[in-house]
Amino acid sequence: MSKIDLNNISHTYNPKDTEPTYALNPFSMTWENGKRYAILGPSGCGKTTMLNIVSGLVRPSAGSILFDDKDVTDLKTEDRNIAQVFQFPVIYNTMTVFENLAFPLLCRDFEKEKINERVNSVAETLNLQSFLKSPARKLTADQKQLISLGRGLVREDVAAVLMDEPLTVIDPDLKFRLRRKLKEINEEFKTTLVYVTHDQNEAMTFADNIIVMSDGEVVQAGTPKELFERPNTTFVGYFIGSPAMNLFETEASSNDCVKINGTLIKTNTNLSKLKNKKIKFGIRSEFINLAVDQKDNLLSVEVDKVEDLGNYKLLTAKMGELTIKSKINRETVVPSSNVKLHIPADKCCVYENEILI
Amino acid sequence: MGKLYKFLKYFFITFWAVFVVAPFLWALTTSFKDFNSVNGGATYIPWVDFEPKLEGWRVLIKSPANGGVDIIEPYFNSLFVTCTASLISIVLGTLSAYALSRFTFKAGFVKNNDITFFFISQRIMPPIVLSIPFFLFLGAINLLDSLIGLIVVYIVLLMPIAVWIMVDFFNKVPREIDETALIDGCNPYQAFFKVVLPNSIPGLIVAGMFCIIFGWIDFFFAFILTFTEVQLLPVKIVALNSSITPWWSLSASALVSVAPLIIVAFIVERYLSKGNLSGAIK
Repeated sequence: MSKIDLNNISHTYNPKDTEPTYALNPFSMTWENGKRYAILGPSGCGKTTMLNIVSGLVRPSAGSILFDDKDVTDLKTEDRNIAQVFQFPVIYNTMTVFENLAFPLLCRDFEKEKINERVNSVAETLNLQSFLKSPARKLTADQKQLISLGRGLVREDVAAVLMDEPLTVIDPDLKFRLRRKLKEINEEFKTTLVYVTHDQNEAMTFADNIIVMSDGEVVQAGTPKELFERPNTTFVGYFIGSPAMNLFETEASSNDCVKINGTLIKTNTNLSKLKNKKIKFGIRSEFINLAVDQKDNLLSVEVDKVEDLGNYKLLTAKMGELTIKSKINRETVVPSSNVKLHIPADKCCVYENEILI
Repeated sequence: MGKLYKFLKYFFITFWAVFVVAPFLWALTTSFKDFNSVNGGATYIPWVDFEPKLEGWRVLIKSPANGGVDIIEPYFNSLFVTCTASLISIVLGTLSAYALSRFTFKAGFVKNNDITFFFISQRIMPPIVLSIPFFLFLGAINLLDSLIGLIVVYIVLLMPIAVWIMVDFFNKVPREIDETALIDGCNPYQAFFKVVLPNSIPGLIVAGMFCIIFGWIDFFFAFILTFTEVQLLPVKIVALNSSITPWWSLSASALVSVAPLIIVAFIVERYLSKGNLSGAIK
C-alpha cells in the first residue's frame, strides 16, 4: 500500500516520428493510499495505457512515477509489487486454483504457512474454497476471473490493485456483489484500488474519485458529486449522467446572464471577462423542474414527450430548435402542452471553448 | 434417412480403414514369405496359401559376413540423428518463436514477419537446391559421412518447422499471460519457463511430432551426405533392392522403419483424446 504520484506522465507509441501522436498527453496526479479510484472514458482514450504505465508494462515517454516518494519509473514490473487484473480472465492453465492463487507469493519466496494462510483467506473472500484443488482450466469464465482477482488480492503489501474492466465477463448479479466485495476489501484492508471502466454507473458506485479521460487527456478528476454537478468540460457533462447534460450554444448577454431561445437565464457565473461571446450553457436534467411558484429563471417550453422510466419521468421538451430534457418526480402531473421549467442559477454551468468558466 | 446415413458412414469408414491398413497387411504377409511364395503367383493367407518363413526377418539382424543385411546399426543411427536434431530444433525453434512472437525486431526493412518467413522459406526451396551447398559446406568442415554432419543439416531442415508451428502457437497465447506473470513477480525468463512454456505443451508436442516425422523419413540428404562410414535407415532399405528384389526382407525392414512413427502417433492420439491438447487456452 503506497501513495502513487504520477508526475507529468505522457506516452506515445511512435516516439521516432517527427510529430508523434500521444496515447497519453502530459498529466500529473496523486493516488492516495487506501482509496478507490475509477478511470472512466470511452474505448481507446488511454485508460489501459495509464494502467500499464503504473504497473510498469509500459515505460512512459516522459515523466516519472513515484511510489511513496520513491522513483519507480525505471523499475521493472516484477520489482514494483503491484497487482493488475485484466479484462479477460488470465489464469495459469496448468496449475490448480490453489497454485494459481499462491503463484504471486511463491514468486516472492513467502513461507509455506503464510502462503496457505493468505490463499485460504482470499479464497474465502471470493467463495473459491471448494475449488482450491481443481485444475484452474476446468472452471467457468466467472470463476476464472475470480482467480485473476484473487491473485491480485493475495499479496497484502501491494502498492495498488489495478483493474482493467475486470467485470466485463461476469454476469450482472455477480458483478454487483463483486463490486461491493471489492469495496469491503478496500475498507477492511485499505488496499488502493484503481478500476478502469467505460461504464459510468460502475465508476460512480465504486469509486471515491473518478478520473475522466478523453483522447489521451485527463479531462477531470474528482468525486462523483463534483463530476456530476460541475463538469469541467462539455465532454464530461455529456459523458457522465444519463441522460447527458443539456447543452446549448448561446451568447452572454450581461455579466451573469445568458440568452436561451430569447429568454434571459441568470447564472452564478461571472461572464464579464469573456473573450469570446460564443459560449455553451449546460444544465443537468436532474436540476430542472416544472415551475411551481418560482418567478425567475423560467423557460417556456412545449412538451414533446414524457417517458415513464419507473423511478422517474423523463420529460423531453422543445423550445424552437432546441431540445431540453428534465428528470421529474414520477408523481408529478405534466400538462400535455406548454409548461414553464425552472432553471436554478446555482446549478448552471457555462463553458467557453468547451471548458467550464 | 438416419439409417442410410449411418450405413454410409460406416461403409465409408470401413472402406477407408481397409484402404489404409491393406498395404500394411500386404507387407506383413510378404515379410513371412520366401522366394517361391512371392514369385509363384499371388498368395494371401499364411499356412493356407504359403508356409510362413522367418528368413525375411532373420536377414535383417544378421551381419553381412553371414549373408545378412544388418539394419540394426542404421536403425540406431537414424534414431540418434532424428531425436537429437528434433530436440535441438525444438529448443532453438521454441526460443526463437517466443522472441518473434513477443518482441519487435527491426533491421532496415526486415521485421518480425520477414524473419519468420525467412525460416519458412528454407522449406519452400526444393531440397535439391540445398544439396550442393550442404555437400560443400560439410566437406569444408570435415563432417561429410558423419552423424554430426547429418544432425547439423537436419537441424537446418527441422528448425523452420518448429519455428513456424510455435510462432503461430505463441501468437495465440494471450500476451496478458506473460504480463500477469511479470506482475505476479516473475522475471521474463521465469515467466517463459514457469508460465508460457507449460501452457504451450500441446504446441511443443505437435512441433515435436512433425520434426520427428520429417527427420525420420528423410532419404535425400542422408543419401547424398553419407557414403560408407555412416548409413541411415532409409538409405539402407533402398540399398536392399538388388537385381533379385528380396521382397520379404524389404517388407520386414519397411515395417520396422514405420514402427516408431506408429508409436509416436499412438502416444499423441492418447494425449489428444484425454483432452489435454484441446482447450488449453481459453
